[in-house]
Amino acid sequence: MILNGTFTFNGPRAAVWDLLQDPTVLAKALPGTKTLTRTSEDHYEGVMKVSVGPMTAAEFKVKVLLKDKIEPEKFAMHIDGKGGVGFTSGIATITLEEFPGPVTLMNYTSDVQIGGRIAGVGQRLLESVGKMMTKQALDALNHELQSRLKT
Amino acid sequence: MPVGPPYLSARVLRNEDARLLTGRALFVDDVQLPGMLHVAFVRSDYAHGRLKSVDTSAALARPGVVAVYTAADLGTFWKPGPLLVPPPPISGLVFHACTQVPLAKDKVRHVGEPIAMIVADSRYIAEDAIRDVIVEIEPLDAVVNLEKALLPGAPIIHEHLASNAAAHVVQRKGDYAVARGKADLIVSRRFLYDRGASAPIENRAVAVEWDPRAEELTIWDTTQAPIPIRNGLAKMLGLLESQVNVIAPFVGGGFGPKIMMFYPEEQLLPWAAMRLRRPLKWTEDRQENFYATTQERGQVHDAEMALTKDGKVLGVRDIFLFDTGAYDPYGLTIPINTQCTLLGPYEIEHYESEFTAVFTNKTIVTPVRGAGRQHGVFVSERLLDLSARQLGIDPVEIRKRNLLRPDQFPHNHDIMFQDSAPLIYDSGDYLPTLEKAAELIGYDEFRRDAQPRLRREGRHVGIGIACYVEGTGIGPYEGARVTVEPSGKVRVATGVGTQGQGHMTVFAQLVADALGVSVEDVRVVTGDTREFHWGTGTFASRGAVVAGSACHAAAMLVREKILTLASTVLEAPKETLDLKGGRVLVRGTDRAIALGELAAQANPLRGAVIPGTEPGLESTAYFGPDRGSTASGVHAIILEIDVDTATVNIKRYLVAHDCGTIINPLIVEGQIHGGVAQGIGNAFYEQLHYDEQGQLMNASFMDYLIPTATDVPPIETWHRETRSPFNPIGLKGVGEAGCIPTGALFAQAVEDALADLGVEITEIPLSPNRLFELIDAGRAARAAREAGASAK
Repeated sequence: MILNGTFTFNGPRAAVWDLLQDPTVLAKALPGTKTLTRTSEDHYEGVMKVSVGPMTAAEFKVKVLLKDKIEPEKFAMHIDGKGGVGFTSGIATITLEEFPGPVTLMNYTSDVQIGGRIAGVGQRLLESVGKMMTKQALDALNHELQSRLKT
Repeated sequence: MPVGPPYLSARVLRNEDARLLTGRALFVDDVQLPGMLHVAFVRSDYAHGRLKSVDTSAALARPGVVAVYTAADLGTFWKPGPLLVPPPPISGLVFHACTQVPLAKDKVRHVGEPIAMIVADSRYIAEDAIRDVIVEIEPLDAVVNLEKALLPGAPIIHEHLASNAAAHVVQRKGDYAVARGKADLIVSRRFLYDRGASAPIENRAVAVEWDPRAEELTIWDTTQAPIPIRNGLAKMLGLLESQVNVIAPFVGGGFGPKIMMFYPEEQLLPWAAMRLRRPLKWTEDRQENFYATTQERGQVHDAEMALTKDGKVLGVRDIFLFDTGAYDPYGLTIPINTQCTLLGPYEIEHYESEFTAVFTNKTIVTPVRGAGRQHGVFVSERLLDLSARQLGIDPVEIRKRNLLRPDQFPHNHDIMFQDSAPLIYDSGDYLPTLEKAAELIGYDEFRRDAQPRLRREGRHVGIGIACYVEGTGIGPYEGARVTVEPSGKVRVATGVGTQGQGHMTVFAQLVADALGVSVEDVRVVTGDTREFHWGTGTFASRGAVVAGSACHAAAMLVREKILTLASTVLEAPKETLDLKGGRVLVRGTDRAIALGELAAQANPLRGAVIPGTEPGLESTAYFGPDRGSTASGVHAIILEIDVDTATVNIKRYLVAHDCGTIINPLIVEGQIHGGVAQGIGNAFYEQLHYDEQGQLMNASFMDYLIPTATDVPPIETWHRETRSPFNPIGLKGVGEAGCIPTGALFAQAVEDALADLGVEITEIPLSPNRLFELIDAGRAARAAREAGASAK
């Protein structure tokens, strides 16, 4: 599954960058995240619950590795999730660009493979669920950014 | 209204329906035993990968889990399954047997391959425990596309082999080069035929009870081959065959995949039940069925036909790839069926057919109703249509010019069939069936009047007519035992399993006619090794032909016993006796004896008998034909396409066919209706979509479309009976007739309907989506042509 898109944060790039590296913020922002902790520099582990069509509240153990970091412009996330209904693995690349305002334009490209039972029954919903979850996460992050910038 | 006797060829209502329709028939999932445990399987999420480790400790710790087994726990029981059908003796044939394993050991080769077996107090607990098992798999690139699978550098599925080629076979008749040299026209195309599921209403299921006191194992199994399953399991488990009972009770649809042997589940439940000394049950869920039950159909053909300008076929050459999936336990039955069925009802002097079977990281392929025959028919019928168009000959006419004539039977095609015997058509008379089909569908009138009028109205209505033959009723043999009980009722036992065909009626009809009893008084037991333990199984449209003939033979032996004993009892010569209404009558007198009374007298409790006398009115007989009998037929269709929505409305569907002597027209028509429904699914709805990593993307009935009642039109049938010389009743099989030419027919009619757009159909299944694309492309091409023309 390929998910690409852009999103505009209402804030400076450095603040967006910090936000994206903070597991407590990410845990709150990513829909279905039950736990997310930093296990070492650039390594994160957590548990997510996702519902795709008939697969309700499917639990995935997720490992995320951040690579190719060029602060504050660019990083890649290697994602590996495993659960009772299948697996997901893939890479998302995120670039950040600052524009006057300041606003930050995020460009994301991701290629994620989904396998096992969730691929078999959720296929036609995966893309829309993926897009929806991405949008919810980014909106939540932007909201968090606004509250950070106010304080 | 009651019919018969005689019952042969009568529309007898089905004996089994009372039980089936009132919910009293036993299916495997109905088996409930005290202390029964339930089984679930941990299956691979990956299509291809190295199995690094399986940690079952958390699953074992879950309350209610009784046992968890992995390949390592199986010890010497872990063995690849048997090669079910060794390849026929074709010279130069290459075949690599790589059969499925009970649980994956160091590699996984398709999504859904079982890795661990969980036994628990309930299925709920067992399913929960699946998530406790930690499976570590190092993913490997998957092999999905047939052509890429054979490229150098492709990942190798079975690493002891040099490539993913499972087999290579060439069969030749005549010399195709001669045909090519003489031809006025050569038509060549690439044809695709993709995978589908068998989608039975009942998934697979196994229930097992080990009785440690009697030392007997009883297995209820949704198999089409209970006797070979019993024999194979006895061997694997170190038991006598007589210590193992296999019961295939009522089964909700077989269609081929249920004759695969041995499925891992079928092997593992008996093994575990003996260790745990507890009854076990596993019922496949619908999603498992999409991954773990065998599938069929993936083939890619590069074919050409050489013809004279009069439309006479001189020869055909076909080179194809066949997708065998991750393993090849069923040998080469499917591609050899394809190879042999391509010749169809036609006289084709020169034929060259070459195929390569290819391993892929997909579910195992074994025969599904039609079993490769539809692919051969698709290729030859499509080539005929394309040739007819180029030569300006009507599609029906080109077929007429090439049909075998009655004086050409028996007809030897000089190539080897799936049963390791030469492909010889026993009998047939094809032209009248084709003419009748054309007449009944109103072919000439449609072409002359209706179609031009409809086209003027802007409607897209097309007609199709396709011919096929079906190799049926192959050996080796089946048997039956017929017993007249003291009640006067007759018991028949035979080895084949029943999956809805109507065996309990057609076998009863044959026996009732032989013994002069009412068909309702004949109770048929199928698929229970306690009742009958010689035989092979239900496949290749052979139940009626082979087991039916055995039932007839056993009944004739019992008839002889009845006449002999009655002659003594009634003091009348045998020739003066009639069997009628459950009694033996002396013709022209009022002397008679009921069969039940005679049966009691045949089994005396005291006194003496003549030495050598067999007790009772019972006999067992076996029947094995020299070779299969060739059924044939013609399907015709009229359909309309809505070019804006790409929906297809089948307006008429007609099957004119010849399956030899018909035992029961109701049942034959039922078989045809079911087959056509499956064929329509195959043609326009059903397709298994795999992604590049071998993930099945539509493993549910939400996304895998099967035709519903509204998609299947009323089906008109017309029967012709050309008796087979290979059995006393003249029977030929009909189990697959309904689905064999459907794809070819559908393609022809769709093309005809879309003639104004120049759409060419070289692939099956189509789907509303795919048809929409083709219509779009056709419209674009037409627009470009018109723009080009107006520019001039």
